Amino acid sequence: MKLYEHEALGAIFKKYKIPVPRYIFATEMNDAVNQFVEKEPGVVVKSMVLVGKRGKAGAVKVVSDKAKVPDVVRDLATREVYGEKSIGALVEEKLDIEKEFYLSVTYSTKDRAPAIIFSEHGGMDVEEIDPKLIHTHVISDVRSVYPYQIRQFLTGIGFSDKDLLRPLSEVIVNVYHAFVGAECRLLEINPLVVARSGDKRKIVAADAVVILDDDASVNPAVVYGARSAQGRPMTQREQDAILIDQGDHRGKAGSYVELDGDIAMMTFGGGGSTVTAETAIEAGLRIANLTDIGGNPPAEKMYRISRIILSKPGIKGVLVCGGTASNTRIDVTLGEGLAKALDDMNAEGKLDKNLVWVVRRSGPEYVKGLKMLHECFVRNGIRGEIYDSQLPITEAPIRLKELLIKHAGYKPEKIV
Amino acid sequence: MKGTVYLNDKTGIVVIGATGREASQVIKESEALYPGIVKAGITPGKGGSTELPVPVFDTLAEAVKDPKVGKLLNTALIYVPPVSVLDAVMECLDNGIKVLYIITEHVPIRDSQIIFQEKERHGAIIVGGTSLGCFVPSVGRIGAIGGKDPSVAFKDGGIVVISKSGGLTVTTAEMFKRRGWGTYMALAIGGDIISNTTYADVLKQIKGDPKVKAVVMLGEPGGAYEEQVADLITSGGFDKPVAAFISGRFQERMPEGVAFGHAGAIVERGMGKATDKISRLEAAGKKFPVKVAFYYHELVKAIESLGVPRDFEDSTAEHVKPLYTTI
Repeated sequence: MKLYEHEALGAIFKKYKIPVPRYIFATEMNDAVNQFVEKEPGVVVKSMVLVGKRGKAGAVKVVSDKAKVPDVVRDLATREVYGEKSIGALVEEKLDIEKEFYLSVTYSTKDRAPAIIFSEHGGMDVEEIDPKLIHTHVISDVRSVYPYQIRQFLTGIGFSDKDLLRPLSEVIVNVYHAFVGAECRLLEINPLVVARSGDKRKIVAADAVVILDDDASVNPAVVYGARSAQGRPMTQREQDAILIDQGDHRGKAGSYVELDGDIAMMTFGGGGSTVTAETAIEAGLRIANLTDIGGNPPAEKMYRISRIILSKPGIKGVLVCGGTASNTRIDVTLGEGLAKALDDMNAEGKLDKNLVWVVRRSGPEYVKGLKMLHECFVRNGIRGEIYDSQLPITEAPIRLKELLIKHAGYKPEKIV
Repeated sequence: MKGTVYLNDKTGIVVIGATGREASQVIKESEALYPGIVKAGITPGKGGSTELPVPVFDTLAEAVKDPKVGKLLNTALIYVPPVSVLDAVMECLDNGIKVLYIITEHVPIRDSQIIFQEKERHGAIIVGGTSLGCFVPSVGRIGAIGGKDPSVAFKDGGIVVISKSGGLTVTTAEMFKRRGWGTYMALAIGGDIISNTTYADVLKQIKGDPKVKAVVMLGEPGGAYEEQVADLITSGGFDKPVAAFISGRFQERMPEGVAFGHAGAIVERGMGKATDKISRLEAAGKKFPVKVAFYYHELVKAIESLGVPRDFEDSTAEHVKPLYTTI
């Protein structure tokens, strides 16, 4: 889970003694911001969004004229950055920057070890830095790193600013301890700056990107609140879906994400869901929503998620697709849960009869379950085809595309 | 020895967290399918319990000293909650178990990292976290892979299926079985960031095994494990046919920053993305018997075009008719 910059500063950087600029977070212009700005010769204002490259989108502004601060704060606290709504503004002291470094810690799968990545040429997009100027230090034991090891690494890469050798090595070790202690997947500071302060120089983290391990021993969603992986607030249907699994551990049906398309996807099992969605997109279908159902959920959960999936406006086709389940009962999930949702939605006049369906599923009691679903299709006038595992799983979305073109005049996306 | 280092006719399984819901079901199923393959279970506080078809001990140390089963235990199947996995792994390693399967999902990455370091230090083999287990139809099964009736998907043959996703391991074996190829071994290695057994690790282990006719690998974006296969093959480390499918191309069309952090992109420059993995494997395919399927179901065509002989007859029609149609 990615943290907002102010969350990273407040919860992690402070605890692990990573030096940061003086700052205040605000959702709107207020007295506290005024008082903060009073004491600063100049400030930097940043939109608090999860998406990267804020600077290029004009969502980071240096303000020297104090009179302009309120307008800038109001703007950046509420604007949309690459389609993501800002949740507030971070107002920071303006640093007198001498140098900008790049620093991050992450897990390297190549080495199957944590790695510290450092460059003396920070500040810009890391992708634009010459790879020869980026240096990686692989940590052989996740549990221990000492500043002397970092100094050996720095001198080894030709780092020549001798005055900074000790303080920089200590900051890097603190950053590493934060990475391990807070159970991060990524901790990135770009830029890590050398700032002048009177006749002294200090190292300050002028940015903070923190992605926590979703599987950390303390669940980050509990600490920071659930957030959509897409860096936007959850939609009402996504929030409703989460409630399905709350307080009922039998199976999982509430993992639901919305996209912009017109094809509803009811898929089962992580790997199977991914390849099915993938194939649908490659085939030119525009996906409206994704659901990953598994672990033999009861009919009630299937009923609720089915209604959520089908209630998204603008849907033209529905794909119900899964491999050969080991545990999940097909009669319960499709024959009872999904079928009852369709019956009820039809009775309420909420079922779109123009939808085109393809179902592909196998597993315990699938003969019975698919027959029940077929009877439901017949009594509700639903159009579609039902397959078992004779049809390879990823041919199902392709079959849906063919039916949509033939029976609904669907125009698939052209994918190159 | 019949089988592989991961599962063979000498395999004796001890289940850690044996009396839990999932684990006890797997023990009962395994006992019905391959009687005697599971030798013991461990659940602290439940030692001496008779609720399972195998003896239950409080600690692994007691089990390995047991005169009846102790000497037979060489493979651990770990079913404990995520935060207890590191503890279970250390208990196994310190008691001399050298092959471990971690079935548990959502192991904290930091713990995975420590587990990997300890595995290296002990010279052990660990599969997972998030493994569904291993199936060698001619020998036996570890874990729940294939469910109650694995014969739906598995029949003895020459294909080795290696997949991060457990469900896809079975789905793939079934797809090939319908078209005439059986499975020699199916191994669900799990998709954790720090993977204890990678595709390349497996290929190195099965390299000289005459039973292996071809490998089908199912990859996912993230990490460098699929790229390592391309490197291994081009350096002459594996020469049998490999058909690969890499999922996740569509994620690259998602907004930036959703899937990968910048640092991942630097540490593994030119690695990690599905398209990077695909192009690396395709490049290997210019000189070596490697084929990447564009669609998942085209894996069958890939194996066919690599000239891998069928183990038995193709039982599926070219164009599958629906069971039911209302359109």
